[in-house]
Amino acid sequence: MNRQTSLDFRTNAASAIKDAALRKAMRNATDTFGTKRTVAMESVDFSALREKASAIRMEVLDNLPAYIAHFTTQATQAGANVHRAADAAAANSIIADILRSNNVRMVAKGKSMISEETHLNAHLEKEGFEIVETDLGEYIIQLEGETPSHIIVPAIHKNRQQVGRLFADRLGVDYSEDPQVLTKIARRVLREKFLTADAGISGANFALADSGSLVIFTNEGNGRMVTSVPPLHIAILSIEKILPSLADLPTFMRLLPRSATGQMITSYVSILTGNRKAGDATGARELHIVLLDNGRSGILKGDCREILKCIRCGACMNVCPVYRTVGGHAYGWTYPGPMGIVLTTLLTGMAASHPLVDASTLCGACNDACPVKVPLQEMILRQRIRRVSEGFSPASVSMGMHLFGLAVKSPLLFSTGERLAGRFWSVLRSAGGENVAGRLPLPTKLPFSRRMP
Amino acid sequence: MSVTDATIALFLENAAKSAAVVHRAAGAAKLRSILSEIVAQDADVFCPCVTELEQAAAAGGVRLVPGYASARVTVEEVSAAIAETGSIVCTSSGGKAVQASLLPAHHVALVPRDRIFATLDDYFAGQAAAPPTNLTIITGPSRTADIELNLVIGVHGPERLDIIVV
Repeated sequence: MNRQTSLDFRTNAASAIKDAALRKAMRNATDTFGTKRTVAMESVDFSALREKASAIRMEVLDNLPAYIAHFTTQATQAGANVHRAADAAAANSIIADILRSNNVRMVAKGKSMISEETHLNAHLEKEGFEIVETDLGEYIIQLEGETPSHIIVPAIHKNRQQVGRLFADRLGVDYSEDPQVLTKIARRVLREKFLTADAGISGANFALADSGSLVIFTNEGNGRMVTSVPPLHIAILSIEKILPSLADLPTFMRLLPRSATGQMITSYVSILTGNRKAGDATGARELHIVLLDNGRSGILKGDCREILKCIRCGACMNVCPVYRTVGGHAYGWTYPGPMGIVLTTLLTGMAASHPLVDASTLCGACNDACPVKVPLQEMILRQRIRRVSEGFSPASVSMGMHLFGLAVKSPLLFSTGERLAGRFWSVLRSAGGENVAGRLPLPTKLPFSRRMP
Repeated sequence: MSVTDATIALFLENAAKSAAVVHRAAGAAKLRSILSEIVAQDADVFCPCVTELEQAAAAGGVRLVPGYASARVTVEEVSAAIAETGSIVCTSSGGKAVQASLLPAHHVALVPRDRIFATLDDYFAGQAAAPPTNLTIITGPSRTADIELNLVIGVHGPERLDIIVV
């Protein structure tokens, strides 16, 4: 599980397209989110808000080391233990060490895409800890041994019948395909886990530099459970999630839920500042915050740095004609859709992911949807250029471009080519059929040289 | 702080949109009569009984239990409310257990009318630079749409949220 398959994007996509249940689920999800998002944005001035949000995110990126240092100081002062992890392996081992030194056996876990990126669960399970995902969607895919197909609704590729059979099989309950009944089963099973877990692990949507706080948006309440019920709480987040202060939060509270699910606001927005202090009746007794770099400092120095403005709302994937058709698994790594193309090629390298740069029509719908104005379309184009310069173009494309290059340099060769194309067009069409001829332009009647003034 | 009727009306409207059940009570007597309608007589109720409002609510013949962990209902005064989003705010200030608004299946929030803020910015502007250990902004009951985007109310948090503006 969790092996990166981005190199197989074309095969993955081709089999996804043949999966009727998947297509139906993706259509339902992306249409619903798209419509709800449009309706929700009517109650705010979207273009003014996204300008503001983009400026706040750029301010943080332009001064990231200073913001990380300030956040670390403030969070430490509030009673948190802040750790820096250079890469996934470091983050996983820091977390395993904390769990081990606290004699933890079972962990209740909230939804975290960063932990998907580091393959945290697999690492901790190998070390002997029991990890229970508590977000309903994450719980479903954990039972099935799958990875998320959408960053907001991870089990969106499964229909109710599949979830019903899964619960009947794995939890020994009567089969039901009623989402209401299935949700209540999960409530009952997971409530027990929250109350007996030795530790909670969560992600965070934002970290506030001025107060050293973590901010978590959730709907189900599991995020509140794992961060406040067990005695130990570990939060893992990437370094770029920082916002300057509490005063910046309203802008993102207006944009993130609207962009993600079309809600005016999520059921819960938790602002957690340090551990439980004297006189408190709430909060984990021990709080650890793991700040993960995993390549982000490098991205910050490059020409795609604006991808780090991303607040993980999923709006770009919901509007992407490619994502809507093939779903999230085809991309073969943690993040799918337009932001996933950019982040995956940057974080895992072109050698492991280059076919992804083709997973876009460059229509620009992602640019229009992005609440923090990440220029995704331009970045995907930049990654296409990088694929060529790094030598990962398919051989046939390189060869074709090379031949074309020779031809355009020589008027004689070019016009010979034009004449040959005209002569052999009918042969080519009858031999190759529509599949070949249909992909080629019709031969010109008038040679290029005679069309020039 | 003077809170306009328009702000209160907007708060109630937005809270209702989030699937909370909203009420208005002019005084303690009305508050108790609302409680008697929404809380079953045999339900175990947790109430901190610290503020005047909480004491008034608890005096109404509900069956009180000392802890929230095993309670069916929590009745408590909340720290603030926000009209823009229809939210209530629970904090750990003053030694309050924020989990009391999470574990029981039914949460009844008492909102003094002068604690309703018009916007998120208004609310945060009035906050101290160092926030309490836990500050949770709550909008409606807990929910999920993780199975086929079917909305189901009541996942890990409360299945029902009543808000009474007093």
